[in-house]
Amino acid sequence: MTDTHVAAPASGAATPQPDPPGNPVLARTALLLLRGRTLVVLVLLVIFFSSVSSEYLTQSNIILMTKHVAINAILAIGVTFVILTGGIDLSVGSIAGLASMVSGGLLFTGLGVPGGTLFFSVAVVILLGIVVGALVGAVNGLLITRFGVAPFIATLGMLYVARGAAQLHSDGGTYPDLAGSPERGNQGFGFIGVDSLLGIPVAVWIMVVVAAVAIVVTTKTPFGRQIYAVGGNERAAVLAGIRVNRIKIAVYVISGACAALAGLLLTSELGAAYPDTATTYELNAIAAAVLGGTALSGGRGTIIGTVMGAFVIGFLSDGLVLIGVSTFWQSVVKGAVIIFAVITEQAQQRLQSNLTKRTA
Amino acid sequence: MWRRSLVAVGAASVLALAGCGGGDSDEGSSSDASAPAAAKLVVIITPSPDNVFFKAEQDAAKAQAEKLGYQTLVLSHDDDPTKQSQGFDTAISRRAAAVILDNAGADASVTAIQRAKDAKIPTFLIDREINKTGVAVAQIVSNNAQGAGLGGQEFAKLMDSKGEYAELTGKATDTNAGVRSQGYHGVLDQYPDLKMVAQQSANWDQAEALSKTQTILQAHPTIKGIIAGNDTMALGAYAAVQAAKKNVIVVGFDGSPDVVSSILKDGIKATVLQPASKIAEMAVDQADAYLKTGKTDLPEKQSVDCVLVNPDNAGSVKNFTVAGS
Repeated sequence: MTDTHVAAPASGAATPQPDPPGNPVLARTALLLLRGRTLVVLVLLVIFFSSVSSEYLTQSNIILMTKHVAINAILAIGVTFVILTGGIDLSVGSIAGLASMVSGGLLFTGLGVPGGTLFFSVAVVILLGIVVGALVGAVNGLLITRFGVAPFIATLGMLYVARGAAQLHSDGGTYPDLAGSPERGNQGFGFIGVDSLLGIPVAVWIMVVVAAVAIVVTTKTPFGRQIYAVGGNERAAVLAGIRVNRIKIAVYVISGACAALAGLLLTSELGAAYPDTATTYELNAIAAAVLGGTALSGGRGTIIGTVMGAFVIGFLSDGLVLIGVSTFWQSVVKGAVIIFAVITEQAQQRLQSNLTKRTA
Repeated sequence: MWRRSLVAVGAASVLALAGCGGGDSDEGSSSDASAPAAAKLVVIITPSPDNVFFKAEQDAAKAQAEKLGYQTLVLSHDDDPTKQSQGFDTAISRRAAAVILDNAGADASVTAIQRAKDAKIPTFLIDREINKTGVAVAQIVSNNAQGAGLGGQEFAKLMDSKGEYAELTGKATDTNAGVRSQGYHGVLDQYPDLKMVAQQSANWDQAEALSKTQTILQAHPTIKGIIAGNDTMALGAYAAVQAAKKNVIVVGFDGSPDVVSSILKDGIKATVLQPASKIAEMAVDQADAYLKTGKTDLPEKQSVDCVLVNPDNAGSVKNFTVAGS
């Protein structure tokens, strides 16, 4: 786990690891600490909260906190793909809300077709929810590649469009009961958000699978290397024959699908779908990615870093609730941690380039 | 080929998204072409209808206004005073006859209502008060203090007057959040053996209530009850209680249909019903009287009592009204 941040996967932009002669050990230790800062912060958080509350480090609380982390981690993994290409996706919270309403509507009222109402099984509903997310992501990708809209603007627009669509879906109302019924054959939506397998919530398993697939894709496949190449230097990527537009559309599709999945998990756990589901979650997701060392300029970052970032945010906010800190302070502390993370990121960059220069 | 099909799929999904809204266009029902028709417009502004309470409010006000021959424009401010202010701009520019408002902040709403008054548009407040009199024509609210007293008493009874409990409070900028919390504590603090071990704001939000309750249950496993400032938070808290397979008493506030049906299924134990539809109808009736006669003959501040809903009477509750009350 500790060396995950050192592994800059095949980005080409990664700084080579020199052995600077006469270099103070101190600087190298500092660099190591800065690289692994997400882990360091996480360990410090755990030490702090468990010393304040004996309930923090219990097995059941760790499982619960991890479950809370899962939603943001899945959103953040999707967003990381986009950020690695140098883009940004502000629409993920709204996409989660839209997917939530689409699946909630299919379970609660069904799909109106001529001559009656169709109900789908839970597996189909989940699949359709994710497809909706992927399609919205595809629209984002097309806006950015075909119409040349800046990613910030395109996805900001989609943030409103998708949220509005979620509200239109039910005319602003809530789908209150998603338990389904035997005659409709759509029971069991609680499985992904409420149930556990081997003592671990299904949502956490899903996060583990999504993270594992994302790690393999980003580090072991040509597609993954192309993502880093596009983010590192888009012009060079074009000249190298990479189909940049196709890569870009793909990352927004991935981001949309991840967002929809997160929305479905949230909805399943709540047992109700409402249009404001996951409002402002995009900011938590981006914060997790940044905290985990993903550079907003693209080309640098890891999935595992993002997941660690999500753990820091989740373990921090749950810890604050656990020890009874007021909502206002929770907000202040979270913001301060994110700013701190970016400052240390820059410190790492400076230190790294200093060390590199000395060897040159 | 691949690319072309992707474009087609993308375009189709945009159309599908746009298509969702095709059905309901109650907002365009007034025509600006004829000035007299525009003068009969009633603008209804409430918080987001994803809380059924506000949905009921909107529906009741709209139905009553249309029954009395007005055209309606329904807007939602999502608890954002800026958005609410823009709603007032719309009302003023369309020369509305009256505004029915469930406001977005006791202090932040005053200037917008004053602006409407200066434009000779009377505002009738429902559900939430503002911290100023003489600006709105009427402020019709359910008696939150009385209701919270009822909820607190029922909660104490359910708790057997002893044990640990947690409280979920609403958005701090909303006066009702404070009034309800004070109302609860006015009762609960009189029982020396009732101990509040956690108090968190879940900002009226269901998902936030769920996650915060889960954490509170972790921190205080021996907790016996949770009292919530509204029903959406009670539903979120109850989902957490269920997931933890615990037996914890949950009490809410609003009387929403989802909570009433949960009470009937022995889930949530009690809620306090606010007569949302009745209050909205009263406001429209008074607006109508004011427009016709120039006065309402009623005091500005009016309060309507809340009713406790528990398994005894939950069966007779429908759409924010208890049969026979």
